[in-house]
Amino acid sequence: NKLGRGNRDKVQQLMTITGARPVIGILKERLMYSTTSPMLQHPYADMILADGISLLCNDIQVDPQDIVMLAISWHMKAATMCEFSKQEFVGGLQALGIDSLEKFRERIPFIRSELKDEHKFQEIYNFAFDWAKEKGQKSLALDTAIGMWQLLFAEKEWPLVEHWCQFLQARHNKAISRDTWSQLLEFARTVDPALTNYDAEGAWPYLIDEFVEYLLENGIQKGQLSDWTH
Amino acid sequence: MNSNSNNSNNQKKRNFQIEAFKHKVVVDPKYPEKTWKILEHAIQEIYNHNASGLSFEELYRNAYNMVLHKFGEKLYTGLVSSMTYHLKEMSKSIETAQGGLFLEELNRKWIDHNKALQMIRDILMYMDRTFIPGNHKTPVHELGLNLWRDNIVHSSKVQTRLLNTLLELILRERTGEVINRGLMRNIIKMLMDLGPLVYQEDFEKPFLEVSADFYRVESQKFIECCDCGDYLKKAERRLNEEIERVSHYLDGKSEAKITSVVEKEMIANHMLRLVHMENSGLVNMLLDDKYEDLGRMYNLFRRVPNGLSTIRDVMTSHLRDTGKQLVTDLERVKDPVEFVQCLLNERDKYDKVISLAFNIDKTFQNALNSSFEFFINLNPRSPEFISLFVDDKLRKGLKGVSEEDVEIVLDKVMMLFRYLHEKDVFEKYYKQHLAKRLLSGKTVSDDAERSLIVKLKTECGYQFTSKLEGMFTDMKTSQDTMQGFYTNHGAELGDSPTLVVQVLTTGSWPTQPTVTCNLPAEMSALCEKFRSYYLGTHTGRRLSWQTNMGTADLKATFGKGQKHELNVSTYQMCVLMLFNNADRLSYKEIEQATEIPSSDLKRCLQSLACVKGKNVLRKEPMSKDIGEEDAFFVNEKFTSKFYKVKIGTVVAQKESEPEKQETRQRVEEDRKPQIEAAIVRIMKSRRVLDHNNIITEVTKQLQSRFLANPGEIKKRIESLIERDFLERDNADRRLYRYLA
Repeated sequence: NKLGRGNRDKVQQLMTITGARPVIGILKERLMYSTTSPMLQHPYADMILADGISLLCNDIQVDPQDIVMLAISWHMKAATMCEFSKQEFVGGLQALGIDSLEKFRERIPFIRSELKDEHKFQEIYNFAFDWAKEKGQKSLALDTAIGMWQLLFAEKEWPLVEHWCQFLQARHNKAISRDTWSQLLEFARTVDPALTNYDAEGAWPYLIDEFVEYLLENGIQKGQLSDWTH
Repeated sequence: MNSNSNNSNNQKKRNFQIEAFKHKVVVDPKYPEKTWKILEHAIQEIYNHNASGLSFEELYRNAYNMVLHKFGEKLYTGLVSSMTYHLKEMSKSIETAQGGLFLEELNRKWIDHNKALQMIRDILMYMDRTFIPGNHKTPVHELGLNLWRDNIVHSSKVQTRLLNTLLELILRERTGEVINRGLMRNIIKMLMDLGPLVYQEDFEKPFLEVSADFYRVESQKFIECCDCGDYLKKAERRLNEEIERVSHYLDGKSEAKITSVVEKEMIANHMLRLVHMENSGLVNMLLDDKYEDLGRMYNLFRRVPNGLSTIRDVMTSHLRDTGKQLVTDLERVKDPVEFVQCLLNERDKYDKVISLAFNIDKTFQNALNSSFEFFINLNPRSPEFISLFVDDKLRKGLKGVSEEDVEIVLDKVMMLFRYLHEKDVFEKYYKQHLAKRLLSGKTVSDDAERSLIVKLKTECGYQFTSKLEGMFTDMKTSQDTMQGFYTNHGAELGDSPTLVVQVLTTGSWPTQPTVTCNLPAEMSALCEKFRSYYLGTHTGRRLSWQTNMGTADLKATFGKGQKHELNVSTYQMCVLMLFNNADRLSYKEIEQATEIPSSDLKRCLQSLACVKGKNVLRKEPMSKDIGEEDAFFVNEKFTSKFYKVKIGTVVAQKESEPEKQETRQRVEEDRKPQIEAAIVRIMKSRRVLDHNNIITEVTKQLQSRFLANPGEIKKRIESLIERDFLERDNADRRLYRYLA
């Protein structure tokens, strides 16, 4: 579903002629590109989809897999990953005070820094659950969850993230509930990786209890964290 | 001799005047001495057993005068020295008494002294009442006792000897000799009369010490050579001896003290060794039902601290061990009815011990109950086995038994039931077994069945038994339905086989998967008639035939004309009826015609063709197992002693491994909604509750049915969070909130 050469040229032209263009203007054209794609039906009118997003990423010089995209989606209160509605997109840009591509590029470091804020990270993390799951589903598919966790905990640096993902694939193999998702962050934040302060009566979700058991079985003694690979 | 009478100068109340003396009263300076001499002499005579020659009145008057004329001090001092002198004389004669005569002499002198003292006191009564209290002197009687004490009992030559003599006599009596108890009593009474301090210091304390030594040595000797029962007998005897000794010649207050000594030396010090004595200790007594010995042990041990708890602890640990062995014994486990009977026997045994020997002590009963609760639940199949036991009893075991005896058996079963942690597992099995009993009509007594249901209801509540009662109702209703059916259609059904239908309400009965089975033509037509009759009167219902649960009676005629009535399962009927139209049928043909699932069909054919005495069919080849290539024939040579031959098996049996797993799984599944319902109930009323408290409350609510697993409760909470019944509190992640 690639944009044809003609469209790309059009964009190039627009950019060279106008220099710094109002982002909304350009993106309107992107919107239009999206709607004229043969794959799309009318329910997607006024939506930016995957292609539009990769173009956008190009413009702001950010990798589509970059976690900053998640933060941006959070600002936009996007409902689902890989799509922005017009309302979400425009509203989000307004909230961020962005009215040009240049401003957008300038704001990226700021947005990135927000991820370091404990409180904001939590909001973004919890937001990610609804954002990443399939529309109409209550739970998050395991593969998607694992991908998200790897992304998020690379940012937040939780030493047990790999163990957690391995554990899930070996023992769980089912979708992830919202409660488990949100409680995992608490767990990562409050329980130290050597499990010295893990409280078995601590009302942790059952899956997390199982995870602790799994760690203990596999040689993490309480008090030491050894690295092992399976 | 002057006699004075007190002037009535100060008697103002009197109406008459008494004239004063006409002559002057002169007091003789030698008067006090003279008077005292008279009294002194009298005292001496008294002590010399010569009192008969004395005039009481005169002596009294003399004493009286002395006091009156203010010579009380002299009188008193004289009395003291006089008595002392005489007592010292007495002491000499006591001291010189030889051997056994010592006590007798002491006793004699004591009696003498007491007599003398009494007389002296009478004579000196005026002084006793006036001079003595006014001058804070010791009254005469008491003085007499004190002087006796100081001059005799505490004299250096008597004190030790007295004590030793007494102790030696007691020792001799303890070793079996007969001693003069009357004399002992008098001497001890003497010590008692001298005051509690004298009794205690001069006798009781040393007596207790010596006794302690004695019993320490004796108990050591006994324990080395006696077995537990004998030792206890000896200890009991000694205890009784001491009590008797006290009642005969010691102060009653000594009883508690001496028994305490015996208890400590003979029982408390050797308690553990006795209880654990090899081959004769508590465990052996329990095993051999030695009620008398056990009773003795109980009565003795209850006297000492921790005595009963020692017995109780040993009994408990023994019981738990035996029980554990019982329930995990692989051999016993093979026969469920035997298993349960052993449990009941064990309980009866200990019940008897506790009633006969342990004084129906409640703490022991509690120990018994907690032990049973402990080991019954060690075997996860206990609920199933208890149900099988009941099944056996209700099927045949209670046949011909009186109503009271039936109640006794059922009450005992209920006792075991109460110990179960997984009562819901029992319920599941009970339902299955009851269903089979009802459907095969194999219950010994309807009253017994209902009685047990009532007991279960009382124990567990209405919910536990509502479905069971539903089963009974269905049976009754079906009877009425059948009557209605035959009343309405009786005429046209004249030739058809007799049909008996039980209509079971789904939900009350254990669930069975519906299976395929083609009924023979005669039956299917009849069944259809019933179906339309029933649905005619009960619109909106759906009927499905449970062909895996029915039975049939077939009249069969074999090769040589042998006639038999065969009682078979529905499946077996379907198979056999095929042979009305064919002599030979292959497995595949049978399978095709009946459409019975293969595992059931194989089992069915096996019971028809491979069981000795029941082989109404013949199979080629004659192998033990059913193969898909086998061919079947009617066994024309079939014989049986009985006219009626029963082939179907609908009897409840111990489950096979896979069946057991399945039942267990179903129980676990059933528990989930119950746990959730409990959580919702609790949260609805509390609104907000923390994690640990939810777990506690839920466990408590479900206790009467099963022990809820905290992990499972947690999972249910999470499920309820998923479904938006609950949420976690924002601030405190351990708190849950109910979402209306």
